[in-house]
Amino acid sequence: MQQVAFNTHISGRFNTELENLRNSVLTMGGEVEQQLVDTLKAIQLNHPGLAEKVIVNDLKINSMEMQIDKECLRIIAKRHPTASDLRLVMTISKVITDIERMGDEIERIARLVTKQKLPSSASVKSSMLLIGERVADMMRGTFDAFARQDEKAALEVYEQDTRIDSEYKKLLTFIASEMEKNTESMQDWLEILWALRSLERVGDRCKNICEYVISLASGEDARHTSLENLMQKLDNLS
Amino acid sequence: MSKLPSLSSVLNAGQRQSLFIGICTFFTAILLLAMVSIVLLIFARGGGYFWPEDIQQLQFVRASDDQPITAYGQYQNQFEQGGEPVRWVVYSHARNPYGNQTLLDDTNLLQARLAPEAARISLRDGRAILGEPLKVTAPSDPDVSLNRLAQRLTQVRQIEQSIAGIRDEQLADIHQKLTELDQRKVGKKAPARLTLNQGFDRWHKRILTLEKQRDAYQLFVRLADQSIVSVALIEVEHLVYPGQLSGWQKLGEALYEVGGFLSESPKQANTAGGVFPALFGTVLMVFLMTIIVTPFGVLAAIYLNEYASNNGLIVVIRIAVSNMAGVPSIVYGVFGLGFFIYGVGGNIDALFFEANLPAPTLGTPGVFWASLTMAILTLPVVIVATEEGLRNVPQGLKAGSYALGATKAETVLYTILPMASPGIMTGVILAIARAAGEVAPLMLVGAVKFAPNLPIDAEFPYLHLERQFMHLGVLIYDGAFHSQTDAKGASMMFAACLLLLVVVFVLNILAVLLRTKLRKRYHKG
Amino acid sequence: MLTLFEREHLDVNNLAEADTAIRVEQLSLRFGSKPVLENISMSIPKHQITALIGQSGCGKSTLISSFNRLNDLHQHCHYSGKVIINGRDINSRKENVAQLRTQVGMVFQRPNPFPMSIFDNVSYGLRLQGINTRRQLDEAVEQALHDAALWNEVKDRLFEPANVLSGGQQQRLVIARALALQPEILLLDEPTSALDPLTTLFIEELMAGLKKRCSIVIVTHNMQQAARVSDYTAFLHQGRLIEYSDSDTLFTTPRKKQTEDYITGRYG
Repeated sequence: MQQVAFNTHISGRFNTELENLRNSVLTMGGEVEQQLVDTLKAIQLNHPGLAEKVIVNDLKINSMEMQIDKECLRIIAKRHPTASDLRLVMTISKVITDIERMGDEIERIARLVTKQKLPSSASVKSSMLLIGERVADMMRGTFDAFARQDEKAALEVYEQDTRIDSEYKKLLTFIASEMEKNTESMQDWLEILWALRSLERVGDRCKNICEYVISLASGEDARHTSLENLMQKLDNLS
Repeated sequence: MSKLPSLSSVLNAGQRQSLFIGICTFFTAILLLAMVSIVLLIFARGGGYFWPEDIQQLQFVRASDDQPITAYGQYQNQFEQGGEPVRWVVYSHARNPYGNQTLLDDTNLLQARLAPEAARISLRDGRAILGEPLKVTAPSDPDVSLNRLAQRLTQVRQIEQSIAGIRDEQLADIHQKLTELDQRKVGKKAPARLTLNQGFDRWHKRILTLEKQRDAYQLFVRLADQSIVSVALIEVEHLVYPGQLSGWQKLGEALYEVGGFLSESPKQANTAGGVFPALFGTVLMVFLMTIIVTPFGVLAAIYLNEYASNNGLIVVIRIAVSNMAGVPSIVYGVFGLGFFIYGVGGNIDALFFEANLPAPTLGTPGVFWASLTMAILTLPVVIVATEEGLRNVPQGLKAGSYALGATKAETVLYTILPMASPGIMTGVILAIARAAGEVAPLMLVGAVKFAPNLPIDAEFPYLHLERQFMHLGVLIYDGAFHSQTDAKGASMMFAACLLLLVVVFVLNILAVLLRTKLRKRYHKG
Repeated sequence: MLTLFEREHLDVNNLAEADTAIRVEQLSLRFGSKPVLENISMSIPKHQITALIGQSGCGKSTLISSFNRLNDLHQHCHYSGKVIINGRDINSRKENVAQLRTQVGMVFQRPNPFPMSIFDNVSYGLRLQGINTRRQLDEAVEQALHDAALWNEVKDRLFEPANVLSGGQQQRLVIARALALQPEILLLDEPTSALDPLTTLFIEELMAGLKKRCSIVIVTHNMQQAARVSDYTAFLHQGRLIEYSDSDTLFTTPRKKQTEDYITGRYG
């Protein structure tokens, strides 16, 4: 397991800056995770107030993204990071984009509650909450893997996405059959589909971040490769 | 006139280069040869002065009156004259046992054989007898064998010492007291005076007895023609049988001679004896000169290099300094004589030593004026070398010192001067070498062929800067005039040359060592 | 709104008196007839690292040298305008320059230890101040060497000649020499240009630590270095101050085109 060591720079300030940067990403990730949990709670309890809070809170996440982005820029301009430092900064710069997008997707789900467009079917709602829980778990795992820069953990989280995808597909077919039965509220169904799609996208973004973590930790580019190839490469590494 | 073919048309590039290198090598080789021959000549001739040559029994026809002569002799040196080997020979003869010299070629030489029985007897006045010591007499001792020669020598020297002791202590005291009585105008018959006179008579008698005793010690020497001469034993300084010595013993003998050469005064009008006063005078003069010239030169260089702004005046001063280095030294001698001795010295006499006039006190050549003159002469050397040293101090170090709040004076004192010390040393050593070798100006301002007293003695004020002094260079110069008539003198001259060479050599080596050490200390890394 | 990174920048173009270490007012300087600095006005903040960057010959070294009047060493140096330190115009004739230089220390491009022992090097300035008691000197030398992060390397060989030290150690020795006088301002004139990259980083880290003790002005022609170490950066070009702001801004979003061209390496 390769670990970026933070305490070996001659420049102590550079250490602190990198550490702060990494922590700020985790703070931002924690914030988004909280948003997802709040949203799921709002759906479960049908609590528009809580959903409203989530929507407002998204601005905070946007601001965080901008600050971290600026800090990355500043570190690159002033510190001229190289090798693992450079990979870290670049990864962070990409990770925060994904996190910010997650925030946007979650905001969209929350709007389902404020618009009072929650599915009337209890089974759909429970399936949706189940997927939501899965996604939240995955998100937690992703940030964990990022914090520890643990490529094994990242790979495990990566695999979870296939389960979410299959459940998402199952739910889609179920909803499609429901839609056939109940065609007059098509508009509502579309809203629900969008929300579901967003939930699934959050999972995809987590997958992206896992890929970044793997490439950050191992130096190998893990994007756009199939899982088998990835496994192969990891075996070669260890 | 037709143009000569240019060099490049005859030779190709490689050949031109070899030609050029060849020419350079040639001149370097000539230079090397010249240097080696100078050193070899000086070492051979100077060293030969100390080497005990074998004594030969010679039969030859004297060139001046065609008389055949049998004598013990030593070859001084050998050279070619008209294709014939010719030798300078020193020999002892009944008419003058203390060393005659003649030029001898093979046609005049009838017979020569090594004479191991003969000894060279050096006398205290610098002369020497070549002969076979026969016997030594002593008062009330019938034993006349040579076995007890060393013991007899000790005895006779003890007697001499006691005579000197009586003279120095008793008689001098009585003389002083008598003078005091004279000053107090005590009558001729005063009892005090009578007592003193009695004492004087008593001691005087004692001396006479001792002298008689002393003179009874005589050494009898047989010369080659069987005539016998006697020498007062007290006069004998050293006795050696060159023919009986091995090579190592000869070396020891030569070293003994070197010791005498370095520690004794010249004898026989600078043709024998030692050169101690000249060596001492040279060293003292150089020492005084160094004390004078170093601060002057260093301070002047510091002013020129560190303080003065680069205006026209400074440029003029720099040019003047470089030109001073090229002025013939005799000009400095005349300047010293005219300005220091008659000008400054004369005025000091007029102001402070009026009582002694017309006899000059300071207005006469002396070691101080000589040092001062030489200091002026060597000043440009020191200034130029010091400036060079100062210029070599890195600007960064000066700036570093200023940046720590040092003033200009502090920077010069603590940073620049230590760094420039190798350069300063170089200048001072060059100055010393130059001053040690100068002759002409020194003869005008205080160096003499023979000085009765050293400039330093036990008499207050111990250092007599107004006294004249002897100088190695002057001694050599003087010897060179003897060389045509006196082969031995020439040898002594070469010995003095050798000494001068060694002195300069040692000084230079010391300087190089010191400079390397300073360089290492201040210019590392 | 949540702030992730605490970073405060003083407005150096409008600096309060209390935060100012050096105030330069309309400083112009020429060597003979050649103008080197033209009408420079800037304020250098206290307890910060200010970098001066620019091409060779842009006057940055001359500017830094005018903060301790080291330009006086040049014969034909003429200047006008004011350099105010501690409320005094140091360009005035009444200024005690030697005294000034103890308050404004300076370190040069090439390490220039004096040819004496390490101890004597560090105590050089103190002795000039008339501090001669052994105990005072010992304490001051040890403190200065600690401050320059050199003590552990030389404590056993204080009396060895300073020129046996390595380049980086020599440069730190020279910094210790300046620190021994407890200066308010430390001027560094390309302090690492003669050192290898790792030693350079070491010295830079040292500088960051020294910020607490004194205000630092560093001249460097290495832009990366200026970016790394400085809090504020001034860009000079042909004797003029082109841009002066906090380093974060200057190196990410410079306001002037000339600055942009210089720091991106587009100067032709």
